[in-house]
Amino acid sequence: MTHEHRARRFEVDALARVEGEGGLIVEIHEGALTDVRLRIFEPPRFFEGFLRGRKYTEPADITARICGICPVAYQMSACQAIEAACGVEVDPDIRTLRHLLYCGEWIESHALHIHLLHAPDFLGYHSGIAMAADHRAEVERGLRLKKIGNRIVEVVGGRAVHPINVKVGGFYSAPSLATMRDLAEELRWALQASIDVARWVATFPMPLHELPHDIALVALRHPTEYPMLGERLVSDGGLNIEAHEWRDHFAEEHVQHSTALHGRMLAGGDYMVGPLARFALNADHLAPQAAALAAELGLTPAERNPFRSILVRAIETVHACEVALVIADGYVLPARSFVPVEPRAAVGCGWSEAPRGLLWHRYELDADGLVVTAQIVPPTSQNQPSIEHDLMHLVEHSLHLDDAALEHLCEQAVRNYDPCISCATHFLDMRVIRT
Amino acid sequence: MSAAAPPPAPPAVTVIGIGNPYRRDDGAAGAVLQRLAAQWGADPRVRLVELDGESVRVVQAWEGSRTVWIVDAVRSGRPAGTIHEVDAQHLGDLDDSGKRLGGGHLLGLGEAVDLADALDLLPAELRILGIEGVEFDNGEGLSAPVAAGVARAVEFLSNAIGAALQNR
Repeated sequence: MTHEHRARRFEVDALARVEGEGGLIVEIHEGALTDVRLRIFEPPRFFEGFLRGRKYTEPADITARICGICPVAYQMSACQAIEAACGVEVDPDIRTLRHLLYCGEWIESHALHIHLLHAPDFLGYHSGIAMAADHRAEVERGLRLKKIGNRIVEVVGGRAVHPINVKVGGFYSAPSLATMRDLAEELRWALQASIDVARWVATFPMPLHELPHDIALVALRHPTEYPMLGERLVSDGGLNIEAHEWRDHFAEEHVQHSTALHGRMLAGGDYMVGPLARFALNADHLAPQAAALAAELGLTPAERNPFRSILVRAIETVHACEVALVIADGYVLPARSFVPVEPRAAVGCGWSEAPRGLLWHRYELDADGLVVTAQIVPPTSQNQPSIEHDLMHLVEHSLHLDDAALEHLCEQAVRNYDPCISCATHFLDMRVIRT
Repeated sequence: MSAAAPPPAPPAVTVIGIGNPYRRDDGAAGAVLQRLAAQWGADPRVRLVELDGESVRVVQAWEGSRTVWIVDAVRSGRPAGTIHEVDAQHLGDLDDSGKRLGGGHLLGLGEAVDLADALDLLPAELRILGIEGVEFDNGEGLSAPVAAGVARAVEFLSNAIGAALQNR
């Protein structure tokens, strides 16, 4: 069956197995691809308005509600931005606890994505639940791994969902030594399990595809760490900036087909954030076992196949388990659990690497510490243009596929980015319209 | 040296509240949990958990409990504040009046039930308490009928928890 000479139009009204709600439209006219539009409903815009007039201590708690999957990322970016505005730097012990908390979120988010959201695409199942019938041991291992990520967030953040122990300047209280010892025991299992998961993922059949070379890779960079809490932003094009310089190089713009803003580089072109970009720009800072495993599995910083991002996530999960175990094993009670933060009239910017990529916050405070303006730039809105760009490239080279196969490939490709469109409601009313 | 104490028994009853307080009536379940905590929060036989609806977390949150209640704001076209009680394994069924529950998190709940079923993780009793909502836009505060529904849900669940603990 050929589709060369008739118009084809897919409208996937809501994408299954992305976190939240979104839609995808692919239009093909007389055998030629004419348009790809990803539609996303994005909650941070409401929160930017909602934060105005709130106390400087509140964004960390309020923005954690933007996303149920990555509340820690919102909390960490918010805290760092407010602390920058107030001229405060947290103690190294507090930063280490933040790093551990972030490891928990990466483990939890990546384990969910790998096992229930993305692996079914590669192994030919319509859902993770269907896959569990044939791959029960792997799914159970993945869910236990996810649970340990949850446990880290619970131990450090006070509870597994929407952590309540995080505050500007640090934490309301520090975990006990006994709790951390128990966590370390769980992490010893998790580290080996994560290595086994990566070896399993490496066996998946991978579609051949290459990210268009005019899409820039952008990620945070730290002098010594793989960047959960990075210090500078770098790109494969040589960009190297601080958080307060983001608006000098990037912007968000409205597009008609989506309520989400689209990220653009002011110098021109689309850019990608997330695991593939992070790995390309920071592979030299992976923890030892993660680095060795990446090399064993043939993953190099030159990797540009977005479908292999599932393998990068698996390597990052090993890294997060390894780092978390080192922190838990070496834990001593910090001298204090938070640094006092006094407000002042100032602007502060902060960022961190959410599981899905860079998350940048900017707050303008008045002298009483009330938020005058807030700007939140989540990874999914930054990636949206590059997802569309990447899909154009993919579909152009896949027009020989029938509609069902092409639709499946497009959905799988969107999930390469693990787009987090959470907190919108989950009405999955999938439709395919052909003309 | 004395032997280590055995781990505590898991709570017999888990009540999971799903929702988002910044989407108005979607915060109904959180409001129910807050009020239940006053009566049951210190009881080791009862676990109260607030979640966002992600299916794996839901399954893992009820681990070890025999009786599980999931509270969620729903939409079925009935008057706001109406309380629905449904067996979780019949979430997709029509009720006596030909209506079916709808809502922001029920798909995740359906997935949670299917996942638990596939992995033999279903509790003996798994029931949904839906509170009919009317206003799900961004913002804080429950609509008046839903606030009244929350009070009825708390009374219902307190009685249900008490009965479940007596029947252990």
